[in-house]
Amino acid sequence: MNRRGLPKRQRLIGLWLLLSGISFLGGAIFAALLDAQLAPQGWQRWVLWLGSFSGGATIFLVGLLLERMLFTPLRHLQVQLARLVANPDARDEHPPEGWLKGLGPDLRRVHESWQADRSRLATAHTEGARSAARIRQELETLLQVLETPLLLCDQHRRVMLFNQAAEDFFHDQDGLGLGKRLEALVPSPSLQQAMSQLPQDGSPRELLAPCDQRWLKILLRRVPGSEGETLLTFTDATASWSNEMGVRADLAAMLTPLRQHTASLISAADALIQLRQQGDRSAGLCERLEGVIQSEGTTLGDNVARIGQLLDDMQHQGERLSPMWSNDFWQALDERLDPEHRLITPIGMPAWFKGDAPALIALMASLIQHLSAYLPESGFEGEVCLGNKRVYLDFIWKGDPLPERELAEWHRQRLEVLPLSPTVADVLRQHASDTWSLADEGSGYSRIRLPLPATERVGAPREAMPPRPEFHDFGIADLPHPDEALANRALRSLEVVAFDTETTGLELRRGDTVISVGACRVVNARLLASETFDYKVDPKRPIPAASTAIHGLTDADVAGAPPLDIILNRFRQYVGDAVLLAHNASFDMLAISHHGVDFDLPVLDTLLISRALDEAIDGHDLDSLAVRYHLAFPPGTRHTALGDARVTAELWLALLPRLEARGIDTLEKLLALQANAFDKADGSA
Amino acid sequence: MANILVVDDEPNIVLSLEFLMEQAGYKVTTAEDGEQALACVESTTPDLILLDISLPGISGFDVLEQLRAQATTERLPIIMLTAHGREVEREKGMAMGADDYITKPFSTQALVEKVRQLIGEEAS
Repeated sequence: MNRRGLPKRQRLIGLWLLLSGISFLGGAIFAALLDAQLAPQGWQRWVLWLGSFSGGATIFLVGLLLERMLFTPLRHLQVQLARLVANPDARDEHPPEGWLKGLGPDLRRVHESWQADRSRLATAHTEGARSAARIRQELETLLQVLETPLLLCDQHRRVMLFNQAAEDFFHDQDGLGLGKRLEALVPSPSLQQAMSQLPQDGSPRELLAPCDQRWLKILLRRVPGSEGETLLTFTDATASWSNEMGVRADLAAMLTPLRQHTASLISAADALIQLRQQGDRSAGLCERLEGVIQSEGTTLGDNVARIGQLLDDMQHQGERLSPMWSNDFWQALDERLDPEHRLITPIGMPAWFKGDAPALIALMASLIQHLSAYLPESGFEGEVCLGNKRVYLDFIWKGDPLPERELAEWHRQRLEVLPLSPTVADVLRQHASDTWSLADEGSGYSRIRLPLPATERVGAPREAMPPRPEFHDFGIADLPHPDEALANRALRSLEVVAFDTETTGLELRRGDTVISVGACRVVNARLLASETFDYKVDPKRPIPAASTAIHGLTDADVAGAPPLDIILNRFRQYVGDAVLLAHNASFDMLAISHHGVDFDLPVLDTLLISRALDEAIDGHDLDSLAVRYHLAFPPGTRHTALGDARVTAELWLALLPRLEARGIDTLEKLLALQANAFDKADGSA
Repeated sequence: MANILVVDDEPNIVLSLEFLMEQAGYKVTTAEDGEQALACVESTTPDLILLDISLPGISGFDVLEQLRAQATTERLPIIMLTAHGREVEREKGMAMGADDYITKPFSTQALVEKVRQLIGEEAS
């Protein structure tokens, strides 16, 4: 079908009315002239007038007939075809009518056979892919439980896969996402260089790269037999690095002065002894030697104290000690002590501390077992108190403190459940810790206290997220090179970020501004469920009630949200190299412009594309199009920024096959089509 | 003359401590372990105790706890002396009621100063 199809409806109607009018007028003038010249009488006069008007009447009636029987059915057929191409499951809302009625059975036949073909294809696909899916599922599970952060990149350093551990590892960075460039995550030139020089045989290369506040040890290898794909694993080397370079280096450096001072001390003492044996009474020399012993002794003492301090520090930085959230610790301990009953009630403010969790849990279990004669069976309260450099893990119970003698005996106990069966004292030493028991003055309660190294972390840990529905997309490797002209990219392979903004009102040029930005990502013609962007913005001005009625956002909802420029910076980061997509994009682009963030990217507009495709059909607003293309969305999500962005993305996916069917398959062609529609829309506005 | 009880199982350090304290004008009693120390406190009631932590048998912490539990020795000045220099042990000693905590090796000058101060406080 020609893209231009039917002539524009209004033009046609105008032409028809004009023709009818001219014919009527011509007929009237002609009849008046004849009437004046011939002056017919009676029925002849009637015939004359009727005959003169018959031309106009015929044109009018034929037009009416054509509109009823041909043009309206054609328009309906066009809508119906559009619906069917976008979605074979759409209902037959307009069966062919008028003179096209005969097409009904044929259309139904085409529709049904397409549906049947599609379902047959789907069944075949499901069955054929079942075993592949099972293998894939097992591999996915394996990857997701793997504790090593892992990334797979294609030859252009775009992320094709990452696991849960990688997401946790980079949780405070925005740069991780399918299809995003690795540079957005780890902006290290040495990494790029290393990736370009990786051996083809899959042998690994190691690299230490700075990232944010950390030093990452990155292990990378080319996947053999692939198209230049690279597998990367990450370790946070900051702690061990600073250990190597910090405390351990300091400790090693302490040895030389220690040797020197010890040598001086021994030789001075020897000299003094010999002096006395020889009976030499030169008081001056004696005094000097004694002075040497005294000062060297003091220096040695200072050095030993310093070494003690360093060893203490080293233990605090011990690699086996990892950060733990106290609530998690109490829960794990409680489950270990008695899976049936709750024995520990955590009280006070939870906090982070460092420890070797399995060892600490074994230690506490042993405490309760060994000292059960002194401890209540009814249970404990667990409290975490904050000290200067330490966190105190306290067990609290109603009763007397534990005698030191019993604690000392407990310290000698071996923990058989741990490797090498260390004693309690060993585990305490590993944590640079000790225990003691004390009474809470005047309350009848006592506690046993276990000091542990504090960490710098604050705030509760992130809530455990449900596993990501999408964490890999191997189609990313088939996307064209990002540096090639975007223009020649196939539409289906475009990375598209559909976005929408909610605003305080529609008059953006008169001070109305953004209160919410939502976006979602389409990669390889798939809408990624969890790759979303959804932020509220503090507009720094009240939201009018009329706007609240549309999007439901009140002043209280946006209070405390970040200002627009911060959100736009984040949004720019989120967009990356993608193409922007919005419905009525000119409004949304105006809303996010002039805030110091450059959105110099191709912008697609579903409103313009829809108009260009179906010039003759009215109703190109998002609601009408959602109905026309049978787009599904959860209730209550329309008119929120993210909800509308998602509908826009789905609309884009529905329009894609129609565009392709017309040979519009590259970004360049689509932009040309869109510009054409824009000119017309602009001209008629 | 104020009486000081030195509790330590290391004869070398006991010898010097005894000498230094006597030079500073105090009467010195010594004990080699915790049991002996407790017995000494019963019989001589010292004015101050220099108490090592790692002792054969019951530990210095244990002695400290027992002394603090008795009404007669509840406020007796006790300085913990130890070769365990870890900060957490110092904290434990202070938490259990020691008046001060000195790690070995220490400056004798500072120790004598500390003893003077504590006994002076007690006398005033």
